[in-house]
Order: sequence, then structure tokens, then C-alpha cells
Amino acid sequence: MKRYIVYLTGVFSLIVISCDESKLDINNENTISTGNFWKTEADIEHGVVAVYNMFYRQGTWTRNIYTQMQGMADDGVSLAGWTELNEYAKFIFTNYNFGEVNTKIWREHYIAVFRANQVLDHIDDIPFSNEQHRQDLIGQVKFLRSFYYFYLTTLWENIPFVLKTSSASDAPEQKTPAEVFAQLEEDLNDAVSKLPATRPESDYGRPTKGAAYALLAKVYMQGHKWQEAVQCLEWLVDGEGKNYYDLTTDYGDNFRNTTENNRESLYEIQFSLINRVGFDQTDNHLDPNAQLGTQIEMNQAPVGIGWNNVEARRWLVDYYKREQTTDGKNDMRLFYSVWYDDAGKDFPERPDTLIYGNNWRADWGKRVFIKKYSTDENPIYYWNDNNFRSLRYADILLLYAEALNELNGPTPKAIECLNRVRQRVKLPAIQNSTYYDGAQIVSDKAAFKEHLKIERALELSLECVRWIDLKRWGLDDQATINELKSRDSDFNNFIIGKSSRMPIPQSEVDNNPNLTQNPNY
Amino acid sequence: MFCALFCWLVTTQLAVAQVTVSGKVSDQNTGTPLAGATVKELNGQGGATTDDAGAFSLSVSSADATLVVSYMGYQSQEIALSGRKTVDISLVAGDAALDEVVVIGYGTVKKKDLTGAVSVVNTELLRDRNSQDIVGAMQGLASGVKVTSSGLPGQQASIIIRGLGSLTNNAPLFIVDGMIGGEAHLNPADVESIQVLKDASSAAIYGSRAANGVVIITTKSGKEGPMKIQFDGNVTSTNLPRYDLMDAETWKRYDDLAYDEAIRTGVAGVVSRQNHFDANTDWQEEMLRTGVLQNYNLSFSGGSKSGNYFVSFNRMVDDGALYGSGYDRYGFRVNTSGKKGIFSYGENFVYTKTDRKNLNGNPWADFIAISPTIPVKDEANPGGYGYGNPDRANNYGRNLVAMQELRPQDNPENLLKANVFGQLSLFDALHAKLNLAYTNYSGVTNTLRKSGNWTMGQGNDAASLGFENYRSDDILIEQTLNYKKRIGRHDIDAIGGVTYNTFFGQTNWITKLDPLVIGDKYITSLDAATGITTAGGSYQKARILSYLGRVNYAFDDKYLVQATIRRDGTSRLPETTRWGNFASFSAAWRISGEPFFDVPFVNDLKLRASHGTLGNSSIGYWDYQAVINTAPRAVFGSPETKVLGMTQSRLTNTDLVWERKTTTNVGVDAVLLDNRLTFTAEYFHSKSKDLLVYLPILMSSGNEGGNPAVNAGSLANRGFEIETGWKDKIGSEFSYSASLNLSRVRNKVLDLGYGRVEYYEFLSKAAIGQPLGAFYLYRMLGVFQSAQDVENHKNSQGMVIQPDALPGDIKYDDYNNDGIISSEDRQLVGNPWPKFEMGLSLGAAYKGFDIGINGYGRFGQDVWNGAAAAAADFANNQNNFNGIVPWTPENPVNDRPRIVFGDTRNSRGDQNRWLENGSFFRLSQIALGYTVPERFSRGIGLERVRTGVTLQNLVTFTRYTGLDPEFRDSGIFTIGADNTSFPNPRSVMFSLSFTF
Repeated sequence: MKRYIVYLTGVFSLIVISCDESKLDINNENTISTGNFWKTEADIEHGVVAVYNMFYRQGTWTRNIYTQMQGMADDGVSLAGWTELNEYAKFIFTNYNFGEVNTKIWREHYIAVFRANQVLDHIDDIPFSNEQHRQDLIGQVKFLRSFYYFYLTTLWENIPFVLKTSSASDAPEQKTPAEVFAQLEEDLNDAVSKLPATRPESDYGRPTKGAAYALLAKVYMQGHKWQEAVQCLEWLVDGEGKNYYDLTTDYGDNFRNTTENNRESLYEIQFSLINRVGFDQTDNHLDPNAQLGTQIEMNQAPVGIGWNNVEARRWLVDYYKREQTTDGKNDMRLFYSVWYDDAGKDFPERPDTLIYGNNWRADWGKRVFIKKYSTDENPIYYWNDNNFRSLRYADILLLYAEALNELNGPTPKAIECLNRVRQRVKLPAIQNSTYYDGAQIVSDKAAFKEHLKIERALELSLECVRWIDLKRWGLDDQATINELKSRDSDFNNFIIGKSSRMPIPQSEVDNNPNLTQNPNY
Repeated sequence: MFCALFCWLVTTQLAVAQVTVSGKVSDQNTGTPLAGATVKELNGQGGATTDDAGAFSLSVSSADATLVVSYMGYQSQEIALSGRKTVDISLVAGDAALDEVVVIGYGTVKKKDLTGAVSVVNTELLRDRNSQDIVGAMQGLASGVKVTSSGLPGQQASIIIRGLGSLTNNAPLFIVDGMIGGEAHLNPADVESIQVLKDASSAAIYGSRAANGVVIITTKSGKEGPMKIQFDGNVTSTNLPRYDLMDAETWKRYDDLAYDEAIRTGVAGVVSRQNHFDANTDWQEEMLRTGVLQNYNLSFSGGSKSGNYFVSFNRMVDDGALYGSGYDRYGFRVNTSGKKGIFSYGENFVYTKTDRKNLNGNPWADFIAISPTIPVKDEANPGGYGYGNPDRANNYGRNLVAMQELRPQDNPENLLKANVFGQLSLFDALHAKLNLAYTNYSGVTNTLRKSGNWTMGQGNDAASLGFENYRSDDILIEQTLNYKKRIGRHDIDAIGGVTYNTFFGQTNWITKLDPLVIGDKYITSLDAATGITTAGGSYQKARILSYLGRVNYAFDDKYLVQATIRRDGTSRLPETTRWGNFASFSAAWRISGEPFFDVPFVNDLKLRASHGTLGNSSIGYWDYQAVINTAPRAVFGSPETKVLGMTQSRLTNTDLVWERKTTTNVGVDAVLLDNRLTFTAEYFHSKSKDLLVYLPILMSSGNEGGNPAVNAGSLANRGFEIETGWKDKIGSEFSYSASLNLSRVRNKVLDLGYGRVEYYEFLSKAAIGQPLGAFYLYRMLGVFQSAQDVENHKNSQGMVIQPDALPGDIKYDDYNNDGIISSEDRQLVGNPWPKFEMGLSLGAAYKGFDIGINGYGRFGQDVWNGAAAAAADFANNQNNFNGIVPWTPENPVNDRPRIVFGDTRNSRGDQNRWLENGSFFRLSQIALGYTVPERFSRGIGLERVRTGVTLQNLVTFTRYTGLDPEFRDSGIFTIGADNTSFPNPRSVMFSLSFTF
């Protein structure tokens, strides 16, 4: 009996031994927890880089935004074999949760915003050895956040507006474009004051004061704040900016991967093939080897060669050919912008008319494919490293001309800006145009504006600028829509009061009580 | 812990003198000796089996021990030896149902003494099932248990007990021989018994892990006597159902119509019909074949007075009915137990080695997506396989053959599970037990990506080799102390204990580009790849510490109560909330035991009730910790420099707490008509709150990498279950049985997370007061027959609702009457939940022949037919089904729109056009068997020879037009969506087993 008691005591003591509750404290040491991050200057610098990282995503500047921005505008069309994808570029929005375009672009823009907000919410709490460095980083992040919001509001207009680090339960309020622009103006003005005017070569890709001015000018222009826009543009064209920026001699330098970060570029998204891992890892946010290249080329390469998700409208070819250069040739912008059937004939001095090693194929017929940003590398690779020139000096000059014209009609400065763009490609000054009524254009505000619409289309075709322009000029009268229909039959599907903004992803509307679907969807 | 084990061993230096008893077991009525009856000591280990003469011999702990004698189809009996060394025992036929012993977790209880809801699966029926996993084999064998098998080799069936109680994890806890998990690799032939614990009070002892119910599986053990060798072999031929898809000729005719319509209506870019490829490929024929599954088991078992053993080998080869798939398994098991004096021990050791060939793509989606005109091989393409071409077949369908051949992937796995327990029994009443279990898993996934393409628009991927390795260790330590004693009319069974479980897992992967190629053979060693290497890895850890206690008390076998408490701490929840206490209580009253109860045809009648709370914390390892993503990179400068970025990508909720589920259960058990009819009915009501769920949050939050876990809302389930069985004999040669189970579960959302009152997914809406996953879709009213018809479709203010529609387009319901079709017009149009579910078993035996029929069905649910939605209307040049009748001016039907290429307006997925009645009844098994009469089998030296044939899933009654009304759903919010799921195979199995 006594023995049994001893055994029993032994048994009970075992139970006590195994009850060390601190064993349940296990930390996740696979990475740093947020509680140990955002403590040093280096943490902030890493956080800023993570915002730039969002350029390399399918819904941002790797591919899909090109299809959507160009497809909706009258310079592009999608005839993609993926019907839902091409319908989206034609104002036929059936499934508002369409993943490849609507939700992906939306989601990845907001991820960029989230990353930017994390930096801005922490940067003031951390000691910096160099205050100017802190200010520079704030400027960069405010520029980037504004950049993403600019495209969000261009595409959807009435968007949830998030300026603080998110939490899971957030249901952010919806803002109108005017409300969004007001904040972007404030942020970009701040960025202008904080960013340096120039950067060393090693920092190309980070915005400068000029980039912030340019984006700010675009925001003002979209809100028709011409006076404020002129102030920004003046700095770029006639102020300090003229020391740093100019048109390149060769128009083609704006689209080559060998002439990046040149004087015409105000802001350029840096693409690289450093992470050439061989397969599609674009959207894996946990992969340090994820691609840093762009699929712009694959996305637009001709049918049978690339995905051909987007291509050009034929009217561009006709419009380019309406005017001859001063030396009696066709406008080189046509040659650099698109591939089409008659290129060999139209540019006899350019014998190289092969397209990824192919002659023009009979089944391509009268179709027109986008050439800008193509490297023509054969065989075509998923990605290329060609930087995307998001803000280009030619755009600035034409915006300046437009804003000045809005304020005071075609002033000499406005005409000069327009002519700088024309003369770079050897077109005559507008006054001497062989096709347009130059005299009327330089004397009449409305005529000047109408001509700018054409000049911008030709100078900036297929660069994701046209849709922004069309929205600035208005898409709410039938006459405009009719004119657009004549160039782009996609506008047959355009419904005034509805189609100028995309449907907000339905899951966002459904699950956010503070968000209303855009009108008529 | 080692110290603990050592102490344990020290305490076992003890022995008590043994006594041997012998005797004979016979039928009380006929006096026939009963061969194969089990004789055990009450509360003892091991046991003996009677020989052909009904004789047995068994060593027991004392001359005053009590023997328990049981035999299939007879009432068990307890006999106190009272000093006798020989006893003759006669058994009464028929009362097996009552004396069945049920495993309830850390103990057993007689079925008649159960106070909670427990289903016992008739494992006899498993014998004739060809399902390769034990979960699939349980289909239709227990009420309230919904098993949905998958047609893919090596993929386990899913199981849900009593509906959805949780939003994250609805899988029950599996306990195999006292170890957690392991059912995935279990050889069904090794299974001795299966019990399903369904209500809180039964499952409570397993605490936080048991909220979805517990399935307790016990594997076979040896019985006292000479060695028995058993061989079972079976060969199964399986076929997968096929869609009735168009061949190239038919398809071209429709496709040309679709192009003509596109040209006529001005779809951009369409100017002529396609210049079709010339092939006529039946992609189903290319991919599907008759699968041959071979399964062999060999077991050795036996025992002596002091111990017993069961050793089994299993070999299974499943060629797979799909090209490129396959599954191969070797299994080895050793179960032993032994006893000396007050000390007893047992161990189970299982080693399983499997190799799975992974299938690329989802054939059931890809069969529809690809045009039948595309050839399998096309030398013009990189890699040499056919696929879409903008001119000849403008189609993004994937060439399934190319996917299998260009990207072979295999997945060998090893699983070792071992547990050992030791038990010390004192005073015949106190049992202290230490159980140690160890599970080691390791698996590898080898991927070879050859160069070549399988779809239009694919870039030129580099060839690569991928190697991914996963391993884990799981250790469980349990110490329990059990007091079990009958004192007069008081029966007490109390248990208390501590369990500790620690888990460690690790994944590492490498990908290397450009493997060497010799001729056309790729070298698959990583050393032989010459390109860029990328690699990564991570680990996972989790621990659970629990205290448990349970008391069962019975007075006079009539009044039964049980109380259970468990305290769990988990590393998956934050420190402040990681401990949870869960209690439950149950009681039963055996009315038939009362003196006043005298109903001759009722043999046993019992009422029971239980109430209890369980917890759930089956979420990720560190869901409450927000972490930094160190993967982002960006490029700056000239020359390009890659720069490191870091940020938080995934949002987290740091205030997570235990999910709690409270269940109330009432039930009645009855045994009637001379023990021939058994009847059980249950009603239950459960309410879960603080549900842990990865509820999707808004994209505008910028969250990525998975939705954060949140304690979101509350869900109620209520339902009833009825199980009834009849068993009888006619004469001495013919016996038959029938059993039927019915169940019905209704669920209701009581509350949703983040303060939401509604939650939407693509096809469904969850709203407070509504069932989960209710279909929320646009409603099709018909097809516009004319321009006039379009004009006439107006709202109440006279606005034309679909002014742009053409004749042949779908007419949608303007539900909110605002004059346009918008997302506001979606409405609740269907319920994915069956009104009831049913399982049926019929059996009969005559002489050596036996037949078993199992059927099950679900009735009253709506199903979204994803295959039909994917095939819709030729918008993407996908294939379609034979016999479709689209709208044309000549044939103006009202249920299917016109077909048109390049226009998806009519084929949206979120319309009720794709909803169908999903009711079905399926004869899942028809099994015929023949046992060779003993006099013949003995003649060739065999004890028992049985051969059989089983037909599986051959007959299904349903009006559902999809491939299979029984499918695995694609998520809890879309429970009724058949998203081109794998259909269940139809099969014929031939089996042979012999024992000697």
C-alpha cells in the first residue's frame, strides 16, 4: 500500500512537470515584425523603395494600365482574343469584378497608397542625420502617392480616399475628383518645395522638383485651374526648369532603351531586366526576384507575335500623313509610333521595316500596331527594360500652350511652345502649315485649342496621355462623342454620364457602406 | 520531458501474480459452440478469441476478475470469476447494438451508456469500398456526416459534421489510435472501428480542436491465439464521366454562326469567319483513360496471454484515369500491446511512402475552354504542341496534353507516425497513462519545366528545374489519470490529464534555370542546370498546452451524467487571450430501466440531453503578428541598380480571441422488437460566436498576401438527425439488414465581422438572418424575341430598360425598377443548402452469398453550374455542349440567347440562368460477395476465402445537367458553386481475400 502511494506521487509529479506555460510564447522569426520596424532612417528608406516597387505590377505599369488607358481613348483599341478584356477597353463593362483589369488595377494602386501612407505616418517620428534627406523622402512619397491617386481618379473618378495607414476594419469615405485633386495639389506643392531640382545619375527614377511641378500642372489642368497650372509650367519652360529640360533632337529617343533619362524626360519609370528569372513572377509580392521589367511590348506586339491586347486606330496614320515635313517627307512621329502596312513606302529612307523579323503579314490587313516602347527584339521576350516616360517635356510644352490659350488666347508664348514641338520633327511652324489653317489657329482661341487636340494626339499618341486629355476637354456632349465615334467606333458604346468613368469593382461597393457605385452602373 | 519519462519507467517495476482461466462459449438456445468470440478481462488489456470448439484460455490479473464476453450478433456478457478457473458461458443472440463499446476519447463507454451524440460507423461496410482514403470510405455511413469525395487520385475527400459551424475550418478532428491526424495516409484495411462524436459534450474532452466534431479511428489489433494471416487484394477499374462536347465539325458550324452574328452586329475587329484549323481533337479522349487501381493488403496478427500484435503491409497503385496523374502508396503498420501485472503498454507504428504525379491545370475547365479544331501537336509552335492562333482558332484554351508533358511534377512523401503508451493500474480502479506520439512528415515536389508553350500568347519561358522540400515534426505528450469503479449501484468513471503538443514545420525551395538537355531528354539534377538559381524558405511553429477533466457517473444504470472541462492554451493567439476554458454537461435517463416501464416490444429506451461549449483557433501560425515584407525591390539610376525595399504588406488584427461554439443536443435511443430495430433521433442547435475567419477586406485598404484573420460574427446551425436500423434472420440461412439515416441542417448568419450587416461575394450574399452562401444574382426573364420586345421591356415609369439589346439577347429583371440593369438588380434567387440528406444501406446474406447496397442523396439545394457558364455562347471560341439550341430568328427559343463571338453580354456568370436543382440520389455502392464454405476452404488449408465485386457510383438519379451533383465546393461563401469541380469516378472493383 505504501509503495502504491509512492508511485502515485510519482505520477502526479509528472503532470506538474509538463505545465510550463511559457512554452506557448513563440515568435515568428521568419521576418521582422512591424513592432521592430519603422525605427531608423534605413527603415524609412526601405519603406520608400517599397512604394516604387509597385510600378512593377500587372495592374500598374507592367501591363494592364496601358491596355485600359489606351483602349478607352480614341487612339487605341483592344481586339484581344480575351473578349472580356477587349470589351473593357470598349466601354462594355459587364462584370464589375473583372479581375484582370478592373480589380487588379484598383487593388495594386491602393497597395501603393498603403505603402506610401506607412512611410508618411512614421517618418516624422524618426531621427534623421540629415533633415534635408527626410524632406526629400517625404517629397518622393507624396509625389508617388499623388501619382497613383491621379490615375485612380482618372479611371474611376469617385474613389475611396485613404491618407493614413489602413487597418482591416476601415471603410474609407468616397471623394469626388475635385476633393481628390485638392489634396493632390497640396501634396504636390509640398513635394515641389522638398524635392531637389536635379539628382545624380545613381538616383534617376526618383522624382525631382520638375517632376512634381509637371504632375501638379497636370492636376491643375484636369481641374481647369489654368492660372495655377501656368505657374508650374512657367517654372519648367521659362524658369529654372529650362536649364534641365529640353526636347531631344531625335523624337525616337523618347522610346528607346538606349536613350533613357534624357533631357526630355521629367519623370520616368525605371525598368530593368536585372531580375531575369525566366518565368512569370510579376505579381508575386513575396518574391525578391520578381520581375522589374515591363510587359508593355508583349502587351501590344502585333497579333501572332505578342499578346496584342491593345493596338492603334487607323486614323492616326491618316492624320500623321496629312502634313509633310519641311524637307518634303512624312512625319517621323508616324514611323516611331506605329507599325502599319505602308510604312516601307512612306519612309523609303528607312529600309528596316521588319517587325520582329516579319514582313507585314497579309492577315494584318489595315490594322495598326503600337511601336512606341518596342525593342523589336526577336524573339520577343515577356519583358523588356525600356523605361516608361510618364512625363515628357513635349507634353509640358503643349500643356503650357493650352493653359496660356485658355487664359489669354494664342499668345506668342503659346504659339512658340506648340512650334517647338512641331519643329523638332521638322514640321513647319503652325503659321506655315501646308495643311492646317495656320493663320486662324494662331489668332483664334477656339481654333488654337482644337489644333492642340490634334497636335497632342500626334505627338503623344499611345502614351497613356490621350484619355486624360479627352476627360479634360470634356466627354459630356454628344457632338464630342460623335466626333470620337468617327475616329474610334468604340465610342458607339459610350454613354454620356456613365462611360467616362469605369465601374468601381463591385465587391468594394458591396462591402463598403461609404462607397456608392458610379452613376448608371 | 525525458525526466518525466524516466520517472515513469521507475514506477513500473511492479508485477502481480496472474491467473489463467479457460472455458467455452456457446449459443444459449442451440448450444452451438461460438468460434471467434472475444473474451476479455474487464478493464484489462488484450484478450482471447474462442477457437472452433468455442474454447478459450486467458490470463487475468486475479481470480476475482470479471470477464467480458462478446460476439457479433450476440449480447455481451460480464461474468465475475469469483475464484473459478473454468467457466462455460452461453450468449443470447441479438443484442449487439446495446453492448457495443464506443470510444469517446481518453476512454470508452458502452453504447447504452452514452449521454452524447455519437455515430458508430459500421466498418464491415468499408471492406467493399474502393475508396483509397478512409474519409471517402465513410460516405453515407453516419447521419449528420457529409462526405464529398474528389475524383483526383491522392486527393482526400472533404468531411463536414453537422453543417458549417466555422468560417475557416470545418474539418473535424481526427484521432487515429490516440494520435491527432494521420487519416490522410491511413490504409482503410487497417481500420477496426470508427466513431463520430457530434455534439459538444462528446467531443468536449478534445476541447478547442473538436468544435467541428471528432472522428475517432482505432486500428486493428491482434487477438489471443495462433497467428492469423490475411490477404486482401482488389483491382478496380475507374472511369471519369465526360462532358458531351461538340466535335470539330459541329463546333465549326456553330462558331461560324457566332462569327456571322458578330459581323452582322458590328463587333469590332471581326470581318470574317475563322480560317479554322483542320484537326478534330477530342480533348477528353486525349486526357481520359480507364484507370486501374490495384490495392493489396497482407496482415499478420495474433497474440498470447501477455501481448498481441498486428502487422500489415499495403501496396496501392493508382494509374489515374487522367493522363499525367497517378498515385502510388506503400504502407507498413505494426500495432502491439502487452501487459504485465499492473503495467500495460501499447504501441502503433505506421510508415507510409507515397508518390503522387501532380496534374497540371483543371481538365474540367480546360476541356471546355479549348476549341476542338486545335491539333494536339503542331510543329509550327515552340515545343511542338497545338494551341490557339489569332487567325485559325482565336482561343486561349490550354493544351492539356502539352501541360502534362512540358511540366511534369511529382510529389513523393514519407510519413512516419509512432505512438507508445504505458499504463499503470492500481487497485483495479486507478489507471495512470502516459502516451507519447510522434509524427514526422517529409515531402518533396519536383518540377521540370521544359521549354515550349501550351497556350496562345505565352511568352518564351526558360526551361527550369524546381525543387521544394517540406518537412514537419509533431510531438504529442499526454498524461492522464483515470478512476473507474463500480460501488454498489454507483458507477464512477473520472479522468484528468494534461496534454502538450508541439509542431515544427519547414519549407525550402530552389528553382534553377536551363537544365541540360541530352538529345530530347532533360537532366533533372539541380547540378545539371546551368542558369540562374533562386531559393527561399520559411518555418512554422505551433504549440498547444491543455488540461482536461471528465466525470461520468451512473446510478443504477438508469441515471447517467457526464461533465467535462478543458482548458486550452495556444501559441496561435496573442498572449493575453490565448487561454480558453470550455465546459460541457450531459445527462441521460434510461426509461426502460425503470420498474414502471413495461412495454414488451421495447428492449431499451433512453433519453439524453447535452449542452457545452468548444473553442476553435485553427488559424495560421502567427496571424496576430504583423510582419514586414522584405521582398520589394526597385531599380534606380544609370547604370541600373537594384535597391532593397521593405514594407508591411498584410494587415493583421492583433486582438484575436478564441472562437466559441455552444451546442445543445437532445436525443432519444431506442431498441425495439426483440432487438431487431434500433432507432436514434437527435435535435441540435449550435451557435458559434467570435468566428475566426479570413474575411475579405476592402481592396482600398491596400492589403495583400491574404486577408487578415478576424473574429467576425456569429453563426447558428440547427438540425435533426435520425438513424434507424433493422436486422433480422429468416430461418438459419438468410439474414438481412437495412438502415437509413436522415439529417437536416439549417444555418443562419447572426452577425458579420467588421460591423457589416451584409457580405458579398461574386455569386452570393451573406446577410444577417440569411443562410451563408445564398445565391445573389441577376435574374433572367427570357430572351428578347424582336426589336418590339426590347421596346416593350419597360419599368413602371415607362423607361426602356435595355435599349441597346438586340433580338436574341437576354431580358433581365429590373429588380429595383430604376429603368436600367445595374448591380442593384441582383436578388436572392437560390439556396445552396440541401433541405435534407439521406444515407441508406441494405444488406442481405444467404449461405455464402452477401449483398450490400449503399446509397445517399441530398435534396432541395440549388447548384450553380460553372461548366455551363464557362461554355456559354461562343464569346471566346470555347467549346460547347451538343444539343444546345441557341436563339436564332428562325428558331426563337426563350431560354438561351443568340451566340456571338466577341460579346459577353449574355454570358455573365452572375445570373440565375446557371442555377439548377442539385438534388440527387446516388447508389454509391452495390457490393456482392461470396464466401467459400469453410469445408472447401479448409480443404485447401485456408480458414476463410471471400471474393466480391463492387460497383461504385454507377447509378445516380438527378436532374442536374453538370457532370456530377456531388462536388467539392469552392469556399464557404459559395458553397453551392460547382466551379468545374472534379467529378467522382465510376468504378468496378473485384476483390479477393483469404485468411489462414
